[in-house]
Amino acid sequence: MTAYRLSSGGLVDRSKALSFTFDGRPLRGFAGDTLASALLANDQLLVGRSFKYHRPRGIVSAGPSEPNALVTLGSGARSDPNTKATVAELYAGLTARSQNRWPSLGFDVGAVNGLLSPFLGAGFYYKTFMWPRQLWEKLYEPVIRRAAGLGRAGLERDPESYEKSWAFCDLLVVGGGPAGLMAALTAGRAGLRVILADEDFRLGGSLLSETETVDGGAAPAFAERVVAELQSLENVTLLSRTTVFGWYDDNVFGAVERVQKHVAEPSAKLPTERVWRIAAKRALLATGAEERPLVFGGNDRPGVMMAGAIGTYAHRHGVSAGKSVAIFTSGSSGYRTARSLSAKGVTVSTIIDSRPEASDAVPHGVRVIRSGSIVDTKGRQRLSGIVVERSGFEELIACDALGMSGGWSPVVHLACQRGARPVWSDALKAFAAPDVGDTLRVVGAANGVYTLAGCLRDGAEKAAAIAAELGFNAAAAPLPVTETEAEPSFAALWYVPGAKSKAFVDFQNDVHTKDLGLALREGFGHVEHAKRYTTSGMATDQGKLSNINAVGILAGMRGVSPAEVGTTTFRPFYTPVSFGALAGTSRDVHATPTRKSPLHEWGKKHGATFVDSGLWFRSAWFPRAGEKTWRESVDREVLNVRANVGLCDVSTLGKIEVFGPDAAEFLNRLYCNAILKLPVGKARYGLMLREDGFVFDDGTVSRLADDHFFVTTTTAMAGAVMSHMDYCAQVLWPDLKVRFCSVSDQWAQMAIAGPNAREVLQQLVDEDISETAFPFLSARATALRGGINARLFRISFSGELAFELAVPAGYGEAVADQIMEAGRAHKICAYGVEALNVLRLEKGLLTHAEFDGRVTPDDAGLGRMFSAQKPDFIGKHLSARYGLTAADRMQIVGLKPVDKDKDIRAGAHLLKEGMKPSTLNDQGWVSSAGYSPVLGHHIALAFLKSGRERYGEKVAVWDKLRDHEVIAEVCDPVFVDPENKKLKA
Amino acid sequence: MVRDYNNRHALDQKLRGTPKPANADHLEVGHWQAIATVLAHVGLETAVERALSSTPELSLRYCGPGEWLVVSEVDTPVGLMRRLDMLCGTQAHVVDQSDGRVLMRLSGPCARRILAKGIGVDLHPAAFARGGSTNVLCGHIAINLARTGEDLFELIVSRSFAESLFDDLMTMGRAFDLSAAFSD
Repeated sequence: MTAYRLSSGGLVDRSKALSFTFDGRPLRGFAGDTLASALLANDQLLVGRSFKYHRPRGIVSAGPSEPNALVTLGSGARSDPNTKATVAELYAGLTARSQNRWPSLGFDVGAVNGLLSPFLGAGFYYKTFMWPRQLWEKLYEPVIRRAAGLGRAGLERDPESYEKSWAFCDLLVVGGGPAGLMAALTAGRAGLRVILADEDFRLGGSLLSETETVDGGAAPAFAERVVAELQSLENVTLLSRTTVFGWYDDNVFGAVERVQKHVAEPSAKLPTERVWRIAAKRALLATGAEERPLVFGGNDRPGVMMAGAIGTYAHRHGVSAGKSVAIFTSGSSGYRTARSLSAKGVTVSTIIDSRPEASDAVPHGVRVIRSGSIVDTKGRQRLSGIVVERSGFEELIACDALGMSGGWSPVVHLACQRGARPVWSDALKAFAAPDVGDTLRVVGAANGVYTLAGCLRDGAEKAAAIAAELGFNAAAAPLPVTETEAEPSFAALWYVPGAKSKAFVDFQNDVHTKDLGLALREGFGHVEHAKRYTTSGMATDQGKLSNINAVGILAGMRGVSPAEVGTTTFRPFYTPVSFGALAGTSRDVHATPTRKSPLHEWGKKHGATFVDSGLWFRSAWFPRAGEKTWRESVDREVLNVRANVGLCDVSTLGKIEVFGPDAAEFLNRLYCNAILKLPVGKARYGLMLREDGFVFDDGTVSRLADDHFFVTTTTAMAGAVMSHMDYCAQVLWPDLKVRFCSVSDQWAQMAIAGPNAREVLQQLVDEDISETAFPFLSARATALRGGINARLFRISFSGELAFELAVPAGYGEAVADQIMEAGRAHKICAYGVEALNVLRLEKGLLTHAEFDGRVTPDDAGLGRMFSAQKPDFIGKHLSARYGLTAADRMQIVGLKPVDKDKDIRAGAHLLKEGMKPSTLNDQGWVSSAGYSPVLGHHIALAFLKSGRERYGEKVAVWDKLRDHEVIAEVCDPVFVDPENKKLKA
Repeated sequence: MVRDYNNRHALDQKLRGTPKPANADHLEVGHWQAIATVLAHVGLETAVERALSSTPELSLRYCGPGEWLVVSEVDTPVGLMRRLDMLCGTQAHVVDQSDGRVLMRLSGPCARRILAKGIGVDLHPAAFARGGSTNVLCGHIAINLARTGEDLFELIVSRSFAESLFDDLMTMGRAFDLSAAFSD
């Protein structure tokens, strides 16, 4: 076979030559070429090796259904494996490499698999799972996985950028061929918001390779005129290079636009690919129809192509697939292609027609063999001849290209992605789109309308009907004038008997007819079973060409209609979409948003080391010169807070304002402890349970006025508590007069803790904050000297004399600066969440390390907070369950290592001394652990079975993960100042 | 000691410095803003809405039934609280959010196309007219979006998310040379 560029014609720009390489070989094409057409123009027939048998393969189609011509584009981190050469737009500098071959495409060692094929039939891979077992990991798995396959995924970071965008329209038209263009034009003129998406880089679809005239002129020129008018309409958006890949709930479509796949030097301002989410009131599928390949012996040899593809390459790209073309057809389309090729000057030698009779016009000089079939093909890595059989006589006919035309299958993929299955049509001898309602309709060839005039009319009529439904006035525009044309007909021919060599059904996965027979014999005759057993239709092309023949063959073997066999399930994506495109901009640091405290810059100024805490960055510790480890910094911060005073940023806590005459009652039902009678000006620790009786969250409740509360939540649960409150107010107790809103971001909040806290803070406020005037658990709105509104709370998470001061967020840094200055004489230091954690650990105060969803108030040592007198609150009733009150529940205790040099690690399990580690012997676990600089040894909080009765007992702290074991003494969880003398100083 | 406190804007780090010329598509951030949440007393939602709407200096942003963010371009935060107290203090709870929210103003011929990259709401004037507002996600971040002009949108975001939203918006606007600056 010798493919070559025709001397004239096609929609390529012959004045713009583009250089590119294939497997390192420099080649040239023209602007307007696809990689496939350019390869053909350079007579590069062999483009890849097949998946399993490593057979030489060439280009089959001229579009997105291509099973064979998969190549890797680009190199290094930019390489893009498994790209279909038939849709890849050619650009200057493109580099393409063939796949699944070693050492080279021409000489491939893996081709030995072809000789082993008797052992590599369908299901062989699954059978290797069964026996012998020892061979699996060492032999089968690595060898099979290496031998089979397509392109290799790169492991380098993807340098491309991606993005997503929403779009909304009255009408989405999928496909820019004759039906789609007419539909978009009709709707666009009527004033609908229209989006027309087409995967090609040039709009026009089949019009671009059409030989018939439209309105007396060339079909591509007509397409160009329509596109120009559509472009001029403000209400129409044209998306070329855009594949609509999925249909989702609420008539939302997913589409991927290849914004810069066709440029050598992408612009940094644009994404490489863009995923569109298109919400459409109505959609029209104008996705056309796919020509069917024929299943005959040797049908995978390079040079055997779809007849329509040969036509497309000739007319659209000005490339002839060979010097002498034969056509194997089961219907009139083969003749139509032959006529159009002859008109273009391509030599068609023979038409082999499987039908005994046909009335189709035969171009001059072409031999027709009726009732003929092809049983084998000749040639090594390219087609040199075909073996034609007719009435028992075989004949070798020399040719270098063969077009297959087995009839047409409407492309109805999208219409079947939400559960509806395609419907077999005896008239079309194909699966047609199901009726899925008004929001999605099928038009043109996808609707089984195969003439040009019919497609144009169908598009215009359906769009006009949609316009009317949506209240637009669509004036009937005259339809373009076309030549008279017979509706094409064909005979269904699922496979051609008498094959002398492998007859492939699925080219990409190397599935041939015998595999399907084996599947049926072994009990996998159901279409979904056969698919998985043989892998037919499971390749990256998802059987776009092959599935219909597989169904037909199964139907034939089972002796039923294809309607009874049915199809496999259609799911997004219609064609593969890169992970990068699906991730969009949500990668690296943008994978999640970052939240910053209003004291973030203040922390930075003081040299904070930050830690990720959910979405937040929090100051973890503030290293000073000479401190070599984080522990040194944290120990210093803790000791300084206990001896002098420290300032900690607690702005990340959730903060909620609660208003209304029923606010107290509302909160009383939310928390397990009593809130109703909390006096104005007072704060209280609050514990919230889940409905099932386990602790949900804790925080503080402050009453600022009779009908006004201010509650705080933990940082982690701020959002969850707010949703919980919304649920309770709207669903559980809609009768309560209560309103609330989050003010988490409005206030910068600082803890000022330590024996000197009052002296420091008093410098900033006029108000008397002495022990008598502002005792422990006071809460009040106030103002700083200088007039800034503030809220002041006498609460402590460290056991020290402490205040929390809240000021409007923007002033946080300035106020913190003032406190640090005021505190200089009192030896103030900044302390971070690590020191905060040690301080609370020394006091046995709890966090979500303890409240892990399995802990009751009593487990946590907070049983006194459970107000059984209250008539009701969330969690009250289910707390009475036996399991939640059992005496051997794990209760919070403290742990001290017996050997004071040893450490205890969080997550370790507790065992009685000398007992073997086992689930049965498990006594509990360590929830928090750390070094106490005050005590000079490690301490821990743990949950231990009946723990409160076991103070003084020695337990083994067993940590298999880190291979660590120590003996610890069980003690009260409050390690420092158990009488709380410092708190109320 | 009497102090003078500086208010640091959440986007100070991003926008401080010499002002750059504004391009056709521009993101403007006010140094000062007055924003409050108004929560109508149960049963008085309509009355409160009427009172708020009748004040030309106030711009209402719908957040939920009986709940609005009220933006004033003429008041200080304290002034806005006082004005709202007088206007509907007996009918609604008023909460200052001037420090808790950041208002960004996106303008220009491509504003809608920029927002479409993060916002799943139809912003065509027929669907989202001037004066309209809604709580919506922009990418991962919850915002309140309002249309204040043909090509003019205002985004209100929680302060802690402001930097992330700003970065996202600049990425969304990169193809249109979106510029950004403080307005004063």
